[in-house]
Amino acid sequence: MPTLSTGERVHVTKIVDRRTPAADVVVLGVRAPQLARFAKPGQFVMVVPPAGEVASVALGIYEAQGDRMSVLFFVSGKRTTELARLQEGDELTITGPLGNGFFLDDAPSEVGIVAGGVGVASVLTSAQELLKNGCRVQLYYGARTQERLVDMDLFARAGCEVHAATDDGSFGYRGVVTDLLARAARPPRLLLACGPSPMLRAVARVAAEIDIPAQLSLEETFACGVGGCWGCVVPIVRTSAQAPSFPPAVLGGSDVVNARVCKEGPVFWAHELRW
Amino acid sequence: MVTRMQPDLSVRIGKLDLAYPTLMGSGCYGSGAEFEPFVDLARIGGVVLKSVTRAPRLGNPTPRLVHTPAGMLNAIGLQNPGIAWYLAHDVAKFASRPCKVIGSVAGFSVDDYAVVCEQLAARDEIHAIELNISCPNVASEGETFACDPRLTARVVRAARATTGKTLIVKLSPNVTDIAAIAREAEAAGADALAVVNTVRGMAIDVDAWHPRLGNVTGGLSGPAIRPIAVLAVYEVARAVKIPIVGQGGIETVTDALEFFLAGASAISIGTANFTDPRVPETIVDGLSEYLARRKLASIRDIVGRANLGFANAYQFEGDEG
Ligand SMILES: Cc1cc2nc3c(=O)[nH]c(=O)nc-3n(C[C@H](O)[C@H](O)[C@H](O)COP(=O)(O)OP(=O)(O)OC[C@H]3O[C@@H](n4cnc5c(N)ncnc54)[C@H](O)[C@@H]3O)c2cc1C
Ligand SMILES: Cc1cc2nc3c(=O)[nH]c(=O)nc-3n(C[C@H](O)[C@H](O)[C@H](O)COP(=O)(O)O)c2cc1C
Ligand code: FES
Repeated sequence: MPTLSTGERVHVTKIVDRRTPAADVVVLGVRAPQLARFAKPGQFVMVVPPAGEVASVALGIYEAQGDRMSVLFFVSGKRTTELARLQEGDELTITGPLGNGFFLDDAPSEVGIVAGGVGVASVLTSAQELLKNGCRVQLYYGARTQERLVDMDLFARAGCEVHAATDDGSFGYRGVVTDLLARAARPPRLLLACGPSPMLRAVARVAAEIDIPAQLSLEETFACGVGGCWGCVVPIVRTSAQAPSFPPAVLGGSDVVNARVCKEGPVFWAHELRW
Repeated sequence: MVTRMQPDLSVRIGKLDLAYPTLMGSGCYGSGAEFEPFVDLARIGGVVLKSVTRAPRLGNPTPRLVHTPAGMLNAIGLQNPGIAWYLAHDVAKFASRPCKVIGSVAGFSVDDYAVVCEQLAARDEIHAIELNISCPNVASEGETFACDPRLTARVVRAARATTGKTLIVKLSPNVTDIAAIAREAEAAGADALAVVNTVRGMAIDVDAWHPRLGNVTGGLSGPAIRPIAVLAVYEVARAVKIPIVGQGGIETVTDALEFFLAGASAISIGTANFTDPRVPETIVDGLSEYLARRKLASIRDIVGRANLGFANAYQFEGDEG
């Protein structure tokens, strides 16, 4: 039965707006009052592919305000191609909100957000919440080309200091975004990051070097997205508060256990991951 | 108001009474709780729990999942905390499920199956046991049980000796003659057969020149395997008298009907839950409508009706164990 305290359930929504901030990037806004109300920064949804592809698509909750929530995705495969065909007025079935989201309650006054490519879809609401709480928020945003740096103005308008990097140097720093972060004149005191795994690993390294905690929102291939299939795991230390129920020191004394990215995550503390 | 007779969807699998003929496939539905926000568990027949083994298992390295045309490959590798921890920490929570709860047992030796089956079946929270002798995702032994008629017989006999609860034996499609295996399982004391587990498969990353699954090979599920599964049910139904739980790529009521008509008494839904968690309820509603439209009183009236030369004519109803 629907859990009223989290708003977690299957929502049959209507698409109220659609835009393409860049080639092959689509933002779909839907009317979903419950989702918008209960969504916590860094949570995601499972979207039912409308034309019948097997398995829902995991998408970060991009915006959530009033009665509207949106998703932002890159058209990269079959399911996102199906979703990209949808127009205003079409129905969209969404399960969520899911996952833990970023831990923002005890955030320090200066926070760095690192977004790589499509990872930008999962960090806007965190930026907004931190700014609302009076934090200084620096966005480190990396993409392949300028074209792919979408919606930077949205972050800037919200009040973020935006630092951009592109692989080809077409905009901002030429190189990877974590190099930019490592050179920060005034490093933030907490990092939140979402993006491809090589970027997240680099964020973890930089965070360890400059000795600040980092929360990483991981991406894995999902099937169920709700914790039912154990297909999306990542190894973490058993002492982590996020470790699933598992006996100590299994398999030759290794105190590492596989946690579900969709259920215990998608956000994990970098220092607790053993990946 | 028009009063219409509600067709009877209840079925009996061994000694297990199901209010609805729909089970949720092992490994696809966690312990049921994971899906509770999205479906009314009182309207699904039962949940087959994730398989549990004697010792804890960390499972396979990632990627454990690959999406493929009309289906997916998985190689989870039976991640589970082991039977001792499971009994101490997890099983008590299953008591509150508003549906039937079926434990799933996996192992690497005949003894493993017997030990885990005995301990799990002894718990009141567990209403029946499914023997997963057909997991394709663990190095060596796992699946060989379901691929060898003699091993199937031995493992089923050993498990049978440990419990009077309903014993469902889950068969593999990765065999030459599934009917022969089914007969062995029946003769060794199985109350029912789950037909079928995943089909072995693999996918390769053409950029990395590397298999896409961490485990290299995996099990294919979803609509891609449905015709294979329907045929397996058809053949098994002609070979045995015990009931069959049909599964493999069921997404719609039409898919479900194929399995009933081939000879399944109940069905199991796995991968379709990943597309849309409302599928089980949609299928239950669809079955009711289908039966009502044809003025049939019970789902049992259609079992095996497309199976020419059907062995399984509900002899198991009534006094049969
Ligand atoms: C928690 C979480 C949040 C996410 N949030 C977002 C988000 O906000 N926005 C977003 O865009 N994505 C997000 N993703 C990723 C998203 O779920 C999809 O995986 C992605 O969009 C691609 O889906 P698809 O079905 O279109 O592609 P798929 O068909 O599944 O393909 C995925 C990728 O693999 C490639 N591929 C597929 N098959 C092959 C093959 N045989 N050989 C080689 N390459 C292949 C495709 O080209 C594509 O790049 C998120 C994932 C997670 C886990
Ligand atoms: C991710 C995943 C995990 C599975 N884990 C198990 C398992 O632990 N034990 C088992 O008996 N079957 C397992 N199966 C097999 C399913 O229960 C089911 O028999 C099979 O997937 C075919 O049905 P489907 O196409 O409806 O999914 C798993 C299947 C999937 C997709
Ligand atoms: S995707 Fe199924 S457990 Fe995470």
